[in-house]
Amino acid sequence: MTKLSEGAIEALSNGTGFTDAVLQLVNLRKIDGGNGPARYRVMMSDGRHTLSSFMLSTQLNSMAEENILAPNCICVLKRHVTNILKDGRRVVIILETDVIKSAKEVAGKIGDPVPYVDGQTKAPQSVSNPENRPPLQPQNKNEVNRGFGRDFGKKAPSAMPSTPGGCSKVVPIASLNPYQSKWTIRARVTNRSTIRTWSNSRGDGKLFSMELVDESGEIRVTGFNQEVDKFYSLIEVGKVYFVSKGSLKIANKQYTSVKNDYEMTLNGESTIIPCEDSCDVPMVQCDFVSIGDLENRDKDAIVDVIGVCKNVEELTRLTTKSNKEVSKRTLNLIDMSGKVVNVTLWGEEAEKFEGSGQPIVAIKGAKLSDFGGRSLSASFSSTLMINPDIPEAYKLRGWYDKEGHAIDGQSLTEVKGGSGGGNANWKILSDVKTEHLGHGDKADYYTCIATIVYLRKENCLYQACPSQDCNKKVVDQQNGMFRCEKCDKEFPNFKYRLILSANIADYGDNQWVTCFQESAEAILGQNAAYLGQLKDSNEAAFDEVFQQANFNTFVFRNRVKLETYNDESRIKATVMDVKPVDHKDYSKRLIMNIRKLAVQ
Amino acid sequence: MAGILDVPKTRINCAMLSQHISRPVCFVGRVEKVHPSGKTFTVSDGEGKIATVELNEPLEEELSGVVEVIGMVSNKGAVMATTYNILREDKGIPFDLELYNEALKVIHDFPQHYPFEVAASG
Repeated sequence: MTKLSEGAIEALSNGTGFTDAVLQLVNLRKIDGGNGPARYRVMMSDGRHTLSSFMLSTQLNSMAEENILAPNCICVLKRHVTNILKDGRRVVIILETDVIKSAKEVAGKIGDPVPYVDGQTKAPQSVSNPENRPPLQPQNKNEVNRGFGRDFGKKAPSAMPSTPGGCSKVVPIASLNPYQSKWTIRARVTNRSTIRTWSNSRGDGKLFSMELVDESGEIRVTGFNQEVDKFYSLIEVGKVYFVSKGSLKIANKQYTSVKNDYEMTLNGESTIIPCEDSCDVPMVQCDFVSIGDLENRDKDAIVDVIGVCKNVEELTRLTTKSNKEVSKRTLNLIDMSGKVVNVTLWGEEAEKFEGSGQPIVAIKGAKLSDFGGRSLSASFSSTLMINPDIPEAYKLRGWYDKEGHAIDGQSLTEVKGGSGGGNANWKILSDVKTEHLGHGDKADYYTCIATIVYLRKENCLYQACPSQDCNKKVVDQQNGMFRCEKCDKEFPNFKYRLILSANIADYGDNQWVTCFQESAEAILGQNAAYLGQLKDSNEAAFDEVFQQANFNTFVFRNRVKLETYNDESRIKATVMDVKPVDHKDYSKRLIMNIRKLAVQ
Repeated sequence: MAGILDVPKTRINCAMLSQHISRPVCFVGRVEKVHPSGKTFTVSDGEGKIATVELNEPLEEELSGVVEVIGMVSNKGAVMATTYNILREDKGIPFDLELYNEALKVIHDFPQHYPFEVAASG
């Protein structure tokens, strides 16, 4: 077998030079120049590294056209020159080469070369690269490349289709920097913001931003005022464009997850032209973080996640501080880590979201928050993809259908009152004590199945302010008026509200809990107003309600927290939610737990 | 035979019939086919397997849905019913036979924790 000149690629690309290097041709691509003859771009391997920045000098074009130079053939590099581009990259121009073994005579790729990356000196290790990945094949075959890895060296081969007008050559996004002026990129729009406006002491204006991706990398692009008018309507997410002459500056990583040291601002000279032939430009690039790993990430980190949408909550509307009304929807995502996280969608995304059939949801650029443990928020710069056509999605779907659906995933997000959520954190009451729930800095939440064994009738109703959203206790002025300190008003009436102390028990332990309005009404089976009326008019019937409520079993969602009054600490348990027992669900969980215990 | 209602009866599915020949059992299954004579019908268990139930007297009512049959297992593996109960599905949650079958297996897999038969012999 012919021996390749190991180390030659490194020598060639750092400019040291190498005489008569024996290399294997990995790939060959024709580049149609705007004018002048065609050029061939070649990827070569020395068995250790591959390098794609070889060009065939035009007098050797016939070797490529006659298939003398073809993938896998082994050739000796007799004469070459190295050109340094403006951005510092080297291109090796092959001036003379002999094929010493034709492609037919060579079984296939020799060795396990990896793409050479500038400054990479640990050549010997990379020979035994355990990943055993194939040499970097050019990404732009006639298929759409989606979601491939991101450890893509800056030497990514780029197709160089002719640019419109032929003014400047198409370069990969990864090669863009502030020190070049003439360039064109050919990239797919993966995200486009809405037009946002600002107004401050220095004036007002509008802007939009978008994210572009090609096979080498991605970049965030922002357009202001005139550029908004000029380009906004032209840009469609998913389409490919030629973009040239934007201003590049160091990216502000605080606002974006786009992996590029630079970002682009459109200026008066910038052009954006749609590109029809776009199938070779990759779709969105994501660097998915396992949900289980989110706990180790910093607050406010921008991450890409993919998971199965286990649950969707109802759309809710809320009013922001600036008095704008926004829609909001929360979903639970689970992935193969078996962990669940809450993701909040906002605005239009929240309104449009359809969670039926437990779709795969991928979010690029979600913001990690420490609200309620760990949760994610899809902001204006995030891209939401439902059932994306990427390998990760298929893998996840297979996993979920086979085993994932049966997992009672543990959530990183504490479930707030009222919502069932994917994270139940099932406990028996004795667990709550032995595990010291509530003793930490934050309150703990758990779900249990328990039976009411005692309800404290005394002081379970109080007279509250009748204003709609005020539940403050009112002071009886003894003159037919009731005063609310919070509203600073007197009312001729009040409303009854419940604050019910209950003792709940399961087979092993019991626990005093406090139930407020809704949960107390659910336990008693009557509303507060009616109970108040009974208390004042029919003591016997009032007592009867409490008798009837005893020994009923519910699913309780409780919050526990150690609270200190007058130097005395005790665990305070508050019921967040009460639901009737779903016996089917309960049986399933019991059977699952029995089986789990049996294998231990 | 008269005492069957007073003794503990093992809950079983089709696969367990052969191990319970000549013993009192409780079989819960979905009614499949009722013989025109009304003296026998077939039931499917949570695994979809079929068992035959034989009655002393012809049925006096339409039979469908999930039934709980109490009886002795014959040599041929049929359930000689002493009595049966229709589990009404018109109110509340429909009976989940598959889930019931899972619970049944748990009872049989861990007899030390479900000592119903010990009580029977004692």
